[in-house]
Amino acid sequence: MNAVAKPVPGSMSNAAYEQRLRDAVMDAAPLLNARLLPVGVRSAALNKALAAGLPQLRDDLWRYADLRFLASAALAPVPAQPGALAAAIQPLLPPRLTGYTRLVFGDGRLLETLSDSCPALDAAATPLVPERTRHERFGWLNDAFATGVARLEAAGTLQLEVIFAATHGASRQAVYPRLELNLAAHADVVLVERHVGSTGAQGLVNAAVQLHCGPASRLRHLRWQALGEDAQLLDTVQLALDRDAHCQLTQLQLGARTARTSLRASLYGTGASLTLHGVAIAGGRRTLDQSLLVDHLAPHAQSSQVFRAVARDAARLACRSRVEAGRTARGSLALQSLKGLLAGGGEIDLRPQLEILTDEVRASHGATTGALDENMRFYLAARGLDPDTARALLEWAFLEDALRGLDPPGLRAAAERAVAAALGSDVALQVLA
Amino acid sequence: MNMPLLSIRNLHVNVADREVLRGIDLELPAGQVHAIMGPNGSGKSSLSHVLAGKPGYAVTAGTVDWQGQDLLSLPPEERARDGLFLGFQYPVEIPGVNNAYLLRAALNAARRARGESELDAFDFLSLVKERMALMKMDEAFLSRGVNEGFSGGEKKRNEILQMLVLQPRLAILDETDSGLDIDALKVVAGGINSLRSPERAILLVTHYQRLLDHVRPDRVHVLARGRIVKSGGPELAHELEQRGYDWLAEEAA
Repeated sequence: MNAVAKPVPGSMSNAAYEQRLRDAVMDAAPLLNARLLPVGVRSAALNKALAAGLPQLRDDLWRYADLRFLASAALAPVPAQPGALAAAIQPLLPPRLTGYTRLVFGDGRLLETLSDSCPALDAAATPLVPERTRHERFGWLNDAFATGVARLEAAGTLQLEVIFAATHGASRQAVYPRLELNLAAHADVVLVERHVGSTGAQGLVNAAVQLHCGPASRLRHLRWQALGEDAQLLDTVQLALDRDAHCQLTQLQLGARTARTSLRASLYGTGASLTLHGVAIAGGRRTLDQSLLVDHLAPHAQSSQVFRAVARDAARLACRSRVEAGRTARGSLALQSLKGLLAGGGEIDLRPQLEILTDEVRASHGATTGALDENMRFYLAARGLDPDTARALLEWAFLEDALRGLDPPGLRAAAERAVAAALGSDVALQVLA
Repeated sequence: MNMPLLSIRNLHVNVADREVLRGIDLELPAGQVHAIMGPNGSGKSSLSHVLAGKPGYAVTAGTVDWQGQDLLSLPPEERARDGLFLGFQYPVEIPGVNNAYLLRAALNAARRARGESELDAFDFLSLVKERMALMKMDEAFLSRGVNEGFSGGEKKRNEILQMLVLQPRLAILDETDSGLDIDALKVVAGGINSLRSPERAILLVTHYQRLLDHVRPDRVHVLARGRIVKSGGPELAHELEQRGYDWLAEEAA
């Protein structure tokens, strides 16, 4: 086939993108620390990013990603601004979670004055250098431009909160949060990864997260995206599970003007299990897009997905979720439930996909999108609840099962409050009272 | 006679351009229990829905006076807060909203509308548990989703529980007896009877006479083809049980 590749509408040409990347390298070069990632890794990543270019219109995996901002967003990372940064970041920090060690990154750099000491943080550890595909192409930009990394080696138990806060500096430059976590065998980690940003701060946040769960380890990970309403997020997550490892990964997509998450989970150890839950809420003209791939590579691996999206106004939400059970994945269990609620306008596109190449696999998948149920609304009205209250309550009820199993309970309570607040009404908060 | 709580005059209602109520006249005084009986499709549920304010019912003529107000001008939530309660024939399931929350939200909405303070959690729970005991309901129901996974009978008991917590001035009970076994019917009837008082009224909408053996109505009205074709005392219900509805439908035609 020799079709001329057309760029995503409103986006720039690949030649322009390439030029912008090369310019960014010139600006970024003095800022890049070779101890975080070797120069060879960075330049190889940049070359792959250049070769991959931008997603094209015909690329179904990127149909819903809103990348128009790339034509004007700065790609070079924010320069270091010692002293001033901590003062700018402090007001953005959410209240502390009780019992959690806290690490704070401002504009992609560890802020020691705002962080607790954390023995698991080990910048000298061998980097988890990711193997990426073109579907994860923006992860290469993080490999090339990351200015700091939360590189964690966890053995035993750990409760950790990593906050990535973005101001984008004076010139609205890019921020490259990076998290690498390796769980040793039998480690038990609760990790809260929060992304926050200044209100009104327009700029690119390019996050890369690399998680590895060793044999029989347990990771409970809450990814909590509450960026400012003008932020643009490109987010690349890779997760690998060894034998009998269990990961409960919950993603809250509550902020950002436009966000795209590309997540790939590899269940490569026998008996590995993944619980992947997600909530996305958007109004206005925001776009939240996710592309998830769960790859069952070993026998008796289990994955269970619950995704709930609420759209209002002219918001667009999409979730494409593909589960593959290869020839080596006999005895797998794969469950998928994707649901969208159009709560007054908006657009939701949900695509569950299942590819099974072996026998003895139990799988179910379903996707539905609809409006609020009129009979439920009338029932609540007939009990005296005003329409706004009824709507907020039903939206809450719709989302609630994505949070129901979230563990530990203290974290669930925090997540529920965040989601209830994102629904823009105090009604759901009362439900929790 | 007291001023009627509810006064319906010449009520005509369309659903999707089909006339389902064709001139209803009904007065319901405080302190009384009236039964609306009639065959399937006679308009019984439509009447309940119109009174509660369900969307989709177009009033083409007539008035409904409710304690001196124009009922039809009020949105459904205001009717509820003013003390009008509809017990649903088919209560909806709302997973994710728990029963206790809904009950408390409903009660506090009504209390606010009356200018009373909201009930605190402790007083609320003791009130609810007392009413649940009357309805022979397990307290575990409180923490479950609204009607989630309830059997038909449990849903109807839950409707009556809500009614007993809210203490409405007018309860319209739409086929509350359908789907109940005889023990559940007695419990539900006991709940309904406990609401009877000089300042309240109850409108029982039912297909069968058996509920009326346990909740004795002051008046019985027979609805056929969108009109009340006959009214009488409680003995009318027995006559219908023996003779069926056909003779009345023929009279109405």
